[in-house]
Amino acid sequence: MIFVISFLVYFGLDLTPGDAVSHMISPELAATITPAKLEAMREAYGLNASFLERYWIWLTSCLKGDFGYSMAGGVAIKDIMAKTIPATLELSIVALIISTILGCSLGILSALKKGSATDSGLTVAGMAGVSIPEFFFALVAILIFGMHLQWLPVGGRLLPHYENLLDRIPNIIMPSMVLALALTAGAMRYSRSSMLDVLAREFIKTARSKGLPEWRINILHGFRVALTPVVVLIGFRLPLLIGGSTIIEQVFQWPGIGNMFIRSVRASDYPLVMMISLMYVFVVLTASLLIDLLTALIDPRVRLGKE
Amino acid sequence: MKKTSLDKKFDKLRFLEENNKLVSKDQNRLISKFFHNKLAVLGLVIFTIIILATIFAPLLSSYDPVRTDLRSMRQPPSLDHWFGTDNTGRDVFSRILYGGRVSIFVGLGSSLMAALIGLAIGCYGGYKGGWIDVIALRISEIFMSFPQIILVLLLVSITGQSLTNLFVIFILTGWGGMYRLSRARMLSLREEEYVQALESFGISTFKICYKHMLPNALGPVMVMITLSTAMFILTEAGLSFLGLGVPLNVPTWGNILNVATDIVVLQNYWWMWAPVGIIISVFVLSVNFIGDGLRDSTDPSQQG
Repeated sequence: MIFVISFLVYFGLDLTPGDAVSHMISPELAATITPAKLEAMREAYGLNASFLERYWIWLTSCLKGDFGYSMAGGVAIKDIMAKTIPATLELSIVALIISTILGCSLGILSALKKGSATDSGLTVAGMAGVSIPEFFFALVAILIFGMHLQWLPVGGRLLPHYENLLDRIPNIIMPSMVLALALTAGAMRYSRSSMLDVLAREFIKTARSKGLPEWRINILHGFRVALTPVVVLIGFRLPLLIGGSTIIEQVFQWPGIGNMFIRSVRASDYPLVMMISLMYVFVVLTASLLIDLLTALIDPRVRLGKE
Repeated sequence: MKKTSLDKKFDKLRFLEENNKLVSKDQNRLISKFFHNKLAVLGLVIFTIIILATIFAPLLSSYDPVRTDLRSMRQPPSLDHWFGTDNTGRDVFSRILYGGRVSIFVGLGSSLMAALIGLAIGCYGGYKGGWIDVIALRISEIFMSFPQIILVLLLVSITGQSLTNLFVIFILTGWGGMYRLSRARMLSLREEEYVQALESFGISTFKICYKHMLPNALGPVMVMITLSTAMFILTEAGLSFLGLGVPLNVPTWGNILNVATDIVVLQNYWWMWAPVGIIISVFVLSVNFIGDGLRDSTDPSQQG
């Protein structure tokens, strides 16, 4: 699958007007350069080889771990990725943790008070969370907390050599909270329906008939069972999160892979665009493979067989 | 023979039925259920108001959304300019109205087109199978292995920025989901008895799948249309906000928000970006309410 996609992406970007050489030479040079010289440059960079040949060379070198070089500045793409991916992961994982804790507790709260004002209020709030554009929310947050109150830095991320973890926390609060917003709404929905599902089961009735206090039934019996599928489901959304963080990274100037991707799209830096989008595809495909494997694992029938 | 009370009840029912009084009530169960959902009705009302406002934009605002007026730059909201003016003296209120036309058209139009394509292929593929289905399934798999925003950005970088390109890109990224949904629905409908009955009558394949089966697959697709409309409007706004969507000379909601990337504007001229952000949120929220209402009224498994 990933080979087919890599072929298509390579092909698509090959169709764009201009080739590597036309990006390399400056406008002043373009006015004076002779066609023969241009041709020589193309030959030197191997651009005159047929499309399939070039694709083959690119593919084999990729598989060997050589991802090529960015057009802007000629930095190795591998280095760029090594620098930006940890930043994105850091942001995504913090957002994931926040949204899981917040979403699950709110979802369970609204399931316990089903039909009440709290429940419908939370449902509407959840819908609003999905509907507000993330970047708009980010802007408002920057304006309030970053500028008026000046509690938090407006954006950016401290360089990794600031090893003091505490110093880095203020920078991550706003982007991760904003990123967590939409996810929280999703997690809330999942955990609400999962909890409702569990509360309707027989063992809850049994627990109640034993005369256990209500909080014990809800927390120890209901909550624990309801949480397992929710947490697994949320965990799988990590790749989605990585994709979703692109705009947020841009707004907060977070030096992650999404920020890099947008910059490379703006600069028409095709090698970089290609590699980053292939990396996303790779992540998504790996995650969906893992989902398939793990859903087989957590399937109750499989579990019953083991016990 | 003496009539029992049960008989009387039955007579009453039969009387009602013969006078067609039971049928008319039942026919619109979906619609009446939809209208019983307060949030869905609220969503529909807001949705209609915003759409009407953008359609009748020339009546509501006398300002040209693209004409610059350097003498009235960065004015705060007043009676003349309801939402103030932007950096080049353009009236923000009229830009929001005209921008809404483009944004809603792109969002709603491309999700409708995507649904049309997805349904057309999905219905036939799900019912008949065959090579069309195999190929379409593979292609949709390719499209779905990208995170949506990444695919859109990639395609934008390949095709360049324009309104038409964005429209086509949204259709390309959106049809896969519709296709899979309608295909799955058709696969389960295929086993129903009425389809077998139609087959045994020798009715042509096209007629069976598009005339008789398609209406039964529409419910979830309609929900999906609303969801993807909401998503496309948000994506368009996000892309234009980054300056990678519709070219900046066309007013769209995202392009109006684009000024907020400037920190001076963000801090000092709230009216240039806050109203449009709120409008986007409210519109998308109303679309989501409608979608939720539709889901509740069409999906029996979600009841209760």
